[in-house]
Amino acid sequence: MIISIEKNKFSDAVHTVSRFAERKSSTLHVLSSILIIAGDEGIKMRATNLETGVDLKIEGECTSKGVVAIPAMVLQQIATSFTQDGKINIEHIGDIISITSGTGKSSIKTVPYDDFPSIPFPENPKNRIILSGTLLRTLFTSIASCASSSTVRPELASIYLSIEGGVLTAVATDSFRLAEKKVPLVSKGTQGRFLIPAKNALDIAQALPDADVIVSFDEHQCAFVSDTSMLVSRLTNAVYPDYRQIIPKESVVEAVMLRKDFEQALKRTTIFSDTFQKIRTGFDPKKNLFSLFAKNADIGESSETIPARVSGSALELSFNHRYLSAVLALTGAESITLLAAGVGRPLIIKGVGDTSLLYLVSPMNQ
Amino acid sequence: MILTGSPRNARVPCATKKRILEDIMNKGDPRELWEYVLTQVELSISPANFNTWFRNSFIVKIGEDGVVHIGVPSQFFKDWYLKKFHTLLLKIIRDVSYEFRNIEYAIMKDEHRRIPKETKNTRGAIELPLEDFYINKSDNLNPRYTFDTFVIGSFNNLAYAAAQAALERPGITYNPLFIYGDTGRGKTHLIQAIGNHFKKQYQGRKVFYLTSEKFVVDYTDAVQAGTANRFKDKYRQYDLLIMDDVQFLSKKDKTQEELFHLFNALYDTNKQIIFSSDRAPAAIPDIAERLKGRLASGMTVDIGEPDPESRMAIIRKKASSHGVLLSDEVVDYVATTIHGSIRELEGMVNSIICHAQVKGSAPDIAEVRQSLRSFTRPQKNISVKNVVDKVAEFYGIDEESVYEKTRRREVVRPRQIIMYILREDFRISYPTIGAKLGGRDHTTVIHSCEKIKREIVGDNELAQEIQNIRTLLV
Repeated sequence: MIISIEKNKFSDAVHTVSRFAERKSSTLHVLSSILIIAGDEGIKMRATNLETGVDLKIEGECTSKGVVAIPAMVLQQIATSFTQDGKINIEHIGDIISITSGTGKSSIKTVPYDDFPSIPFPENPKNRIILSGTLLRTLFTSIASCASSSTVRPELASIYLSIEGGVLTAVATDSFRLAEKKVPLVSKGTQGRFLIPAKNALDIAQALPDADVIVSFDEHQCAFVSDTSMLVSRLTNAVYPDYRQIIPKESVVEAVMLRKDFEQALKRTTIFSDTFQKIRTGFDPKKNLFSLFAKNADIGESSETIPARVSGSALELSFNHRYLSAVLALTGAESITLLAAGVGRPLIIKGVGDTSLLYLVSPMNQ
Repeated sequence: MILTGSPRNARVPCATKKRILEDIMNKGDPRELWEYVLTQVELSISPANFNTWFRNSFIVKIGEDGVVHIGVPSQFFKDWYLKKFHTLLLKIIRDVSYEFRNIEYAIMKDEHRRIPKETKNTRGAIELPLEDFYINKSDNLNPRYTFDTFVIGSFNNLAYAAAQAALERPGITYNPLFIYGDTGRGKTHLIQAIGNHFKKQYQGRKVFYLTSEKFVVDYTDAVQAGTANRFKDKYRQYDLLIMDDVQFLSKKDKTQEELFHLFNALYDTNKQIIFSSDRAPAAIPDIAERLKGRLASGMTVDIGEPDPESRMAIIRKKASSHGVLLSDEVVDYVATTIHGSIRELEGMVNSIICHAQVKGSAPDIAEVRQSLRSFTRPQKNISVKNVVDKVAEFYGIDEESVYEKTRRREVVRPRQIIMYILREDFRISYPTIGAKLGGRDHTTVIHSCEKIKREIVGDNELAQEIQNIRTLLV
């Protein structure tokens, strides 16, 4: 195999692909490697950790065909070291591969590629939707943090995606808070729902191109296909809890305030939160104020009042501040609306004018 | 010859090992078959390969048509099995038996995947259940209490029927439903089962269970915090309100008034209300008359003492719900030995079950007898003189007059009560009572006891007096 690739293109590709290689060394060696294929379809890089997989096309010249597997770690370290522009040449002789770039030449031992698994595509890809890669990337990166990080309940460590009536709804919850985001789709016909592990979704989001991608899925597998790449992930086979039940239908008090005010006040109050990361919030409809209060026995205490439009009855609720600040990453709206349904019931946060987002956070015990 | 001979020799121990395994293996058991397959696969592929591909797989079932179903974690595995290992696996299972015709691969649900690992870890000992203590926060109901676990006998037949009728048309047939009976007769179980069933039957409607004590605390808290209005609203939203142990409301005048208003609000909107108490509404002391009347305005049923057959049924049900099967002998023994409430009966059964879970087998009659010793109450021993003293003191009469043959009214009544208590509470025979109380005939004693027994039903004052005397005697 003899190929030559632009340095920066090679680096980008290696960074993208190495994310999908297995990081643990205990399993098959070939799983922690990147497979480079030079064939009729051009140059491709592949990697998989049996949870997710990637197949990426790279622009470059292919002088002679061949397949080779190289440890991902080594390749990644080499790729980061490239500084100047220019091309690199890769040549495969025996069980050694040599990478030549302008001034230097490195020879790397290859890994036998016989055991490299095939990357499975959904068996019956009838369910497919098309949407822009940028959109999907922001959707995954913003919402994945709301999923549970523990694997005890696989369904909560996943993002729930449901496609219905031309709208893609993504939901993630760790049972303390919940984020629901809606994205309109171009094609209206498809229906379906699946659960993608949040960790996998994050990996895939990093590798998604900006262009349109076709998302296809079946019961166990989903794939994100674009002109240059194919990304696959295993799906979680579990039943997602009926989250709509916990969303309060009515509210007793509503507060609308500037996001900027809320963000700054929250940031300051957070400093004084206690070991439980507790912050007390108050709705005052008489004075039209929203207040934040935190007290820490070791540091001191702090209270903030934010001018807001408050309608309803006065109410005090306590929250974990991390769950409150998380909403800021989810919406870009200038103002936010807080809807409380009463003592001990979850609080809903929405962006004003942003109907796509619904964020729900459970209060802490007073 | 020498060159070809050595590998052949090397294969011999392997083959014999295989033979032995095959002989002792139960081919129909998926776990054993899979373990055998794994030992064979391990010989054929590299350890890394084996660890990567075979650690999380298992045989789901062996179909009757000879198809072996193997469960794998994901599509990656399924594809790779089909591509790389299918022939190998097929060869191995064909070696075991020609009955196996083919292998099919299925991707297993995440929950299922963990099962085989867990069963390996928890061998023998059964994990003691924790979910018994789980209580739903929004309605306070304990999901453990259902009609499935409720034993119906002649003693609670009527109460059960009333509960079913109330569930049929909540708020209309029997409103309020008032259930009373001595402690440990299953009142709480019955009313919570109504709540749990209601929740299932009418989804979206709100149920709330609380004890009257909680109601009192809630009310005083609300008054203190100045949120009495919120308190009112909170309780008025429910479609079914269940209040346990209302007798504790006695002397709580303000809370009674609040309950009175709450009752009216719920009753007028046809919301079902259920109460329980340890005595009939009329017999609850220090409770406002208007509330008393309302408590009794619907259906009032009592749960009596369980008969021996029901007790046996309860013991069986309780034990089988924990997966322990008790012999008839043991059930009979426990039912006849433990007197008093079902709660005590359950406590006994629980301790037997605990024994069974620790030891891994159901206990026999000797062991039960041994562990039961701590449960049997010592018989109350009390002298007749003591009773006479206390009763005479209660009524302010001279105790000597009780033994005399006087028929003055103020002495006759206490004497009859003494006889009644001696008979009912201490199970002293009629002739003995007669002899001790100044040499009376046993028929006189029988008459007195019957008379009091009759009067106690209609005369609350008398019932109250006897209750008070009983507290003096303890």
